[in-house]
Amino acid sequence: MSNSSCKGQGGSPLDELAELLQCRWKNIDQAKQKTLGTLEQLSKIIEGKPGADTSVIVHGSLARRECTRGSDLDWTLLVDGVADASVQQTFLAIKNALNDETAFSQLGLEKPGRQGTFGALTFSQPMMHYIGGEEDSNSNTTRRVLLLLEALPVGERLKAFERVRQGVLRRYLDEDRGLLRKNTDGTNLRWVPLFLLNDFARYWRTIAVDFAYKQFDRGNKGYALRSIKLGVSRKLLFASGLLACFWCDPEVSKDETLEPRKQSLVSCLDAFFSWTPLERIASFFVVHTRGSQSKFIRETASELFSAYDDFLDLLNNTEKRKHLDELKPGDEETDIVFKEARMMRKRFRLAIQNMFLHQDSPLYKHSIEKGVF
Amino acid sequence: MAFFGFSTGALSLGNFQEALRLVHGTSMTAVELSALRLPELPVLVDALPTLDLSQFSYVSVHAPSRFSASEEDNVIDLLRKVPEKWPIILHPDTIHDPEKWAGFGNQLAIENLDRRKSDARSAEELDRWFDRLPNARLCFDMAHAHQCDRTMTEAFRILLRFRGRICQLHISELDSAGHHFPLSYGSIQAFSEVASLIPADSPAILESLNPLHGAGNDLQKIWMEREISRASKAIGRGEMLPDSPVSSGLAAFSSTPIPA
Repeated sequence: MSNSSCKGQGGSPLDELAELLQCRWKNIDQAKQKTLGTLEQLSKIIEGKPGADTSVIVHGSLARRECTRGSDLDWTLLVDGVADASVQQTFLAIKNALNDETAFSQLGLEKPGRQGTFGALTFSQPMMHYIGGEEDSNSNTTRRVLLLLEALPVGERLKAFERVRQGVLRRYLDEDRGLLRKNTDGTNLRWVPLFLLNDFARYWRTIAVDFAYKQFDRGNKGYALRSIKLGVSRKLLFASGLLACFWCDPEVSKDETLEPRKQSLVSCLDAFFSWTPLERIASFFVVHTRGSQSKFIRETASELFSAYDDFLDLLNNTEKRKHLDELKPGDEETDIVFKEARMMRKRFRLAIQNMFLHQDSPLYKHSIEKGVF
Repeated sequence: MAFFGFSTGALSLGNFQEALRLVHGTSMTAVELSALRLPELPVLVDALPTLDLSQFSYVSVHAPSRFSASEEDNVIDLLRKVPEKWPIILHPDTIHDPEKWAGFGNQLAIENLDRRKSDARSAEELDRWFDRLPNARLCFDMAHAHQCDRTMTEAFRILLRFRGRICQLHISELDSAGHHFPLSYGSIQAFSEVASLIPADSPAILESLNPLHGAGNDLQKIWMEREISRASKAIGRGEMLPDSPVSSGLAAFSSTPIPA
């Protein structure tokens, strides 16, 4: 069960929420500290390698600042500049530095995932131009959506990343004709970017479908651990994206500085995506807990973060993680570790459902009107 | 009253006298006397009392974009000879000792920079310069802001925070390598998105590189007027001039990029 204890923290939205709720999520905190150390090491390893129009970006648990034992290194060299074949040399130099066994032991990380989507050279133009349509491959969608939801630039070269993220955001808003226009009945402006929301929803469903594909492709190997991750950290990612779309509405974000113009929304989304997924969720609870006595909001927040804290505790437990990774199909129903993990996943699911779909939630109307149909 | 004009460096690289001769008789009411390269500054400062600038209601001077710490005092001494009512445009990354520049007060206008630079590109980075030079104003370079962020979100942020400090605009198109070009459809569209946030009386100085340098004066003047018309459209201050028979001939001249 949770290692949560009631003690205030200070700093990010997550810390602010912990203080408001008088809670402390020990595993979330520890994972963040571990990540900060790893990121520092990583910055040293790649120092001096990326050029002016490139950024080294990490994804996965590092980007979420949730490093645990067994976390891997998913990275990409993002290029946003004039055509220049020499970036391949830069990519190889970084790859070689990171593939060094010493580097991995220093970082305490696993090597990139077997799909090969990461540890890759990525160019900005396809990501920005191919949203939907034949050219928008599974990899392109993944890179683009993760650029928004789960990406962190490492080292000194951040500008390429910032430019591309803002460019991608702007693309989603430009094609959304009804955005910032009044409803057909002439009332409220539509603040929620639906093109963006639909792409997040599509990505979430793609992950879910790919989950079944991997099960088929790998003969169920690693099924149990992937299943838990899908229901918790992957679901968190989608929830934080859905929330980002709703956050554009000043009614949800309580942001009085928002202006009904696209640059204002890009700026708002850009800032929101600078937070980790957990911090985005925490921002929502902070805004709606501050100055409110709503028991529902407080309880939902406590349950959600407590369940997530347990999730990180599980991932950080080498024995349990290995056990789940190697669990044979058919053993799930009787396996104690899996049953415990499934219970945690259920608590997380119910908390997320309450956050978006409970009638007392400030997100209820948006979730029904924009998130479902 | 809005003032439009060119940077002398864009019209005739390193030759402000020739640039001033070119703009004589045009509709331009503003000019920026450029001394982007250090050796140009003493020549320009010496010539100031002799220049006929009666055509212009707004005049500014662009300080050199690169000098060493040992040259800084000399640059400042020369710039002190610039009339106080003329803004001095300065790239903040050239500053070695901000305290030495504080004496210029609001005569100094620091410029937001392009993406090759490591400073003064964003609202946050500019904020740090205004902390150090609290009375300085801003030369808002729209091409630099556009090059740093094609979505113009950073331009929006800069304008939201510093529009009250703007003393002039720089307008042109910039490629990814930092070369200035005449305005295109894309840059006009992009600039027009933030036009409503720009103070209506901000003088606009064009840095579009003259693609007709060396051609006949009349042809160059027509190009200048057309470019001003396009800039005016970009910042929401008027309509573009209709196509003229000359404009089709302009394409025959290729431009030679110069560094930003």
